[in-house]
Amino acid sequence: MSIRTAVSGDATRAVVLPGSRPRRAPGSSSRAISSLKWVVLVVAILLAITPILYLIATSFKSPDDILSTRILPARFAVENWASAMANWPIFTYLGNSLLVAGVAVVVALVIAVPANYAIARLRVGGGQTLLLIVSAYIAPPVVAIVPLFLLVRTAGLMNSPFGLGLVEGLMLTPVAVWLLDGFFRSIPGEIDEAAQLDGCGPVRTLVSVLLPLITPGLAAVGIIVFILVYNDFLIPLLLTQTGSAQTLPVGIALMQGGREVMFGQMAAASLTGIIPVYLLALFAQRWLIGGLTQGSVK
Amino acid sequence: MSTVATRTRQVVRRPARRAAWTGRAMLVPAVFAVVVIAVYPLVFSVAASLSDSSLGQQFTDWVGGANYAALFTDGVTLPSLVRSVVFALASAILALVGGSVVALCLDVSVRSGRVLRVLLLLPLMTPPVMAAVVWRLMLAPTGGLFNNVIQTISPGAEPFLFLGSSPAAMISVIAVDAWQWAPFCALLVFAALQTLPSEVYEAAQVDGAGTLQVFRRITFPLLLPSLLTALLLKVVLSFKVFDLVFVMTGGGPGFDTTVSSYDIYRSGFQSFDIGMAAAQTIVFLVLVTIVIVPLNAVRQRAQKGAS
Repeated sequence: MSIRTAVSGDATRAVVLPGSRPRRAPGSSSRAISSLKWVVLVVAILLAITPILYLIATSFKSPDDILSTRILPARFAVENWASAMANWPIFTYLGNSLLVAGVAVVVALVIAVPANYAIARLRVGGGQTLLLIVSAYIAPPVVAIVPLFLLVRTAGLMNSPFGLGLVEGLMLTPVAVWLLDGFFRSIPGEIDEAAQLDGCGPVRTLVSVLLPLITPGLAAVGIIVFILVYNDFLIPLLLTQTGSAQTLPVGIALMQGGREVMFGQMAAASLTGIIPVYLLALFAQRWLIGGLTQGSVK
Repeated sequence: MSTVATRTRQVVRRPARRAAWTGRAMLVPAVFAVVVIAVYPLVFSVAASLSDSSLGQQFTDWVGGANYAALFTDGVTLPSLVRSVVFALASAILALVGGSVVALCLDVSVRSGRVLRVLLLLPLMTPPVMAAVVWRLMLAPTGGLFNNVIQTISPGAEPFLFLGSSPAAMISVIAVDAWQWAPFCALLVFAALQTLPSEVYEAAQVDGAGTLQVFRRITFPLLLPSLLTALLLKVVLSFKVFDLVFVMTGGGPGFDTTVSSYDIYRSGFQSFDIGMAAAQTIVFLVLVTIVIVPLNAVRQRAQKGAS
């Protein structure tokens, strides 16, 4: 298990290291095959980005444009953006989303890092501990919503971004533990032994020797948890009921925007929520891809 | 002599024992998290499913199996469970097949690999609620992209109700979910492809094997354990679907897209019947287990066979 994880960990990192190139599988280099592959890739990219481009175009369309069958707006109806901002507290939603996701990342990492150290380096509880913690993530979250709703209400944490961030952080702790495991196991055990010989206790070994070594792992897992929480809908829907505490997905999902007149405004509001994740994905793609593949491919 | 030996042993043993205690202490917060998000909800749900409970007042009465008896006859719960399985398997297979095809093609894009990967990852990064909004706009009967295209091809045609007719609504939601998750599958499969031993490919080339033959005899069998792992992971994730249904169809038309997650949400937070929601939760959990355990067994067997 540990060897497999370490091997897959190295392999994933090899994928994302700058300068490393995906290996060209020998035998597949014939020209016909590679042009076929290009066609597939172009189609895949069109599939991936068309909805986003459509959203951008729609956000600049006046209601007349939307009812007509034109693809691009006749004129840039910037007023969609203005009225979206005026009709809904978009920036309050956005602020809440960022705050909740930030709190959740801190909670999940603060809980997961010592747990991972105990599991991977101190070998507490044999091999089953990791499996037990991770299995808590397999059940669909809907299973926990009613009990959690009652718990949060009793604790007086309803409508609080901090309360929501705390719950989300706890919910994503198993994911963080699962993803971090490979990073911890990829560090050779000699490093711990050397630290111990130098008189470091377990806590100091973790904090001043291992943590600096797994910084890329922490970044990757932190970004993934951030995006998962930022994108989440079910838990925020139930734990926030007032507009001033709601996150962006909740605010947008609850907009009564079925009519065509609202298309432009809904598109503008949705884009406001999408832009931060895309920027994050763009700047952090190296860690993101390394983290996403970590632990899952064996 | 012996005292020296004892002393050295103590010196050696003390840090070890301290490490064991520190290790246990370090696990406490994670155990607490698991108790809050998994153990407590499970215990609560089992108890609540045997009781008469509402959102305002829990455990007013013990009703034994009445909630379970009711869910077998209400005509909604059982079909929702079936729809959950259909959704999970269909969207997982679709995303995995799509993602694998892309992953197998990615090796040609050596130079533009980074840009390509960012573009391909966009659906995965899009918050599901926003993805649902985009697709609801694109699939709208009037003013939506697809119906506009239909109008352009045959002017005056009746708009097609992608999200308002059966079985198009369920197919649409499945397709949108696959659109979101195919990049994730592509990423996993691509990473697995990089770990395949290059010697085998070189040998195959020397033997003059064709591309299709190489794929069928080498790539696919070697990749199978990873494919099954990705499939298992995606099935687990697909059972969680809620946001797409909530935003795109609201469970409709009729109950056409009401999967179990949505059904449980409706029982708990629209009918405020916690007892019923808990009973549905337990049955749903059993169902998820029934689907996932055999899938995991198959995956483990494939993995053992590979190594």
